[in-house]
Amino acid sequence: MTSSTIRSGAGDHAVADPGSPAPRRGDGLAALAFLTPSIITFLVFVLAPTVGVLVLSFYNWNLLSDGTFTGFDNFVRLLHDGRLLGVYGSTAYMALVILAVNVALGLLLAVLLETRMPRWLRGLFRLSFLFPFVVSASAVALIWRFLLNKDLGLVNYLLGLLGADRIDWLGSSAFAPVSVIVVNSWKTIGFSILVYIAGLQSIPKELREAAIVDGAGAWTRFWRITFPLLSPTVFFLVVINTINSFQIFAEPRVLTQGGPGDSSRTIVEYLYDRAFGDFDLGYASAIGITFAMVLVLLTAIQFWFSRRWTFYS
Amino acid sequence: MRAIRPGHVASRAATFVILAIAALAIAAPFLWIFRGAFSGSDAELYRLPPTLQAKNLTTANFGLVTEQVPYFRFFLNSIIVSGSITIAQLITCSTAGYAFARLRFRGKSALFAVVIGSLMIPIQVTIVPLFLVMSKIGLTNTLWALIFPGIFSAFGIFLLRQHFLTLPLELEEAAKIDGAGRLRTFAGIILPLSGPSIATLGIICFTYWWNDLLLPLVMISDTDRQTLPVGLVLLAGRFSTGSLGTIAAGITMAIIPVLVVFVFAQRYIVQSIASSGLKL
Repeated sequence: MTSSTIRSGAGDHAVADPGSPAPRRGDGLAALAFLTPSIITFLVFVLAPTVGVLVLSFYNWNLLSDGTFTGFDNFVRLLHDGRLLGVYGSTAYMALVILAVNVALGLLLAVLLETRMPRWLRGLFRLSFLFPFVVSASAVALIWRFLLNKDLGLVNYLLGLLGADRIDWLGSSAFAPVSVIVVNSWKTIGFSILVYIAGLQSIPKELREAAIVDGAGAWTRFWRITFPLLSPTVFFLVVINTINSFQIFAEPRVLTQGGPGDSSRTIVEYLYDRAFGDFDLGYASAIGITFAMVLVLLTAIQFWFSRRWTFYS
Repeated sequence: MRAIRPGHVASRAATFVILAIAALAIAAPFLWIFRGAFSGSDAELYRLPPTLQAKNLTTANFGLVTEQVPYFRFFLNSIIVSGSITIAQLITCSTAGYAFARLRFRGKSALFAVVIGSLMIPIQVTIVPLFLVMSKIGLTNTLWALIFPGIFSAFGIFLLRQHFLTLPLELEEAAKIDGAGRLRTFAGIILPLSGPSIATLGIICFTYWWNDLLLPLVMISDTDRQTLPVGLVLLAGRFSTGSLGTIAAGITMAIIPVLVVFVFAQRYIVQSIASSGLKL
């Protein structure tokens, strides 16, 4: 598929989309048939559990007996949960750094990949950047648990060659979140790089060539032409990376078990422990509601920002 | 051709150095674990710098993996779960995506808004009631508990709807004049034109569920019914020290098949993932 066929979709999108024309005879029945599989799976596995979260959050519920209604108790508990804010803090810290690394370093690597080079070499670079993305997070985290070992790991060995002291990557509250950040970015940055590459390729060559003719340097060309035209891609990656990095679970689980303390604990891990460690299902559901609210809020903020600075040609 | 300036050469050199360092940083951990899989002792695994001398290496670790955990069972379970979800998602998302792209029916915009809204409620939020639903209908500790929650995909519906909107309307009009019903138009005209988009969704879906750790951890209690990501963690928990080479071998056995598929399907995978951004 070429990017031009994709682009052309944006045009008729506006025509076919909102305030759709009057219902057409026969379409209703067809739509019912086409939508039934999705509607059933949506009702049972998305809507019912979503309603379930809301209901459960008003109950004290463990796995052994059905719950008792406790009103707003779980929400009052949220306010008094000393750990919750700390866990949100670690989650946000790790998520935002991962987001920044993927969006910024990903852009740098994608732009560098545009340099003239043999096809096979470009292919090899692309391949190596993307490969960790398709490997499971638990395998990735297990590998890095070896590499980040304080006394025997490869990372500290290499740092030692440079003359640095050994770092307690997994056992200190300063570096445990850094480890999660490094490992997650290492795994996911290839996705951002690839999306950037596609975005860069969809920018008309003539624009950049015209700028060269006008004598604009590489730096000016990038910030005046490439970056503005790339802003929808940047926005897409900011949204996707935010949502994904706030949902991290496997890396801290395998690398650090969220510790030491809660320094590398994510909100999903905290929810998981309350639900399936303590069997405190009602309270875990209340945590889930806060998490959904955070995601909705973040998405809303990003869309609000995008109106201001995203440039659509 | 422009004249080659010294600054130009320097910036080209810097470009390749940065790219090479990045590629090495990605490759080295894999190469390290592959080599570690052949080490006979913990000391050998952690030997720095690593050596490739044959006298220190052994293949015994791979046998130990399958002795310690039902490794091939994990693998099969992972394939069954990710494969079933992918097939089911392709069916539900393509039909629903088509309905939203092309059919005119009452309540369409409202329904579509619900689909888009559900994007913001990830499975991590609903995992608790999902577990209760599954346990009420007696599906916990079966692979069904891993398959069913993955089938509905708002992302997939949206992705395919966007693609269907790009297809020229005339094609369908022509089919309609020929008297083809909606289903025949969809299966005979629309789907054959949508290979790349369907592959995109298939690859993204398969990768996601192949890698998922949370759902199997919550739903499955029997070791025999676990998927590979949890299986690896179980394997790692079984040996904390003493035979770390076995853990490395288990990880290697999980990665090599993915690497093989990846190398063969790379063009498709690279293109699919790259275009997912453009389509949204």
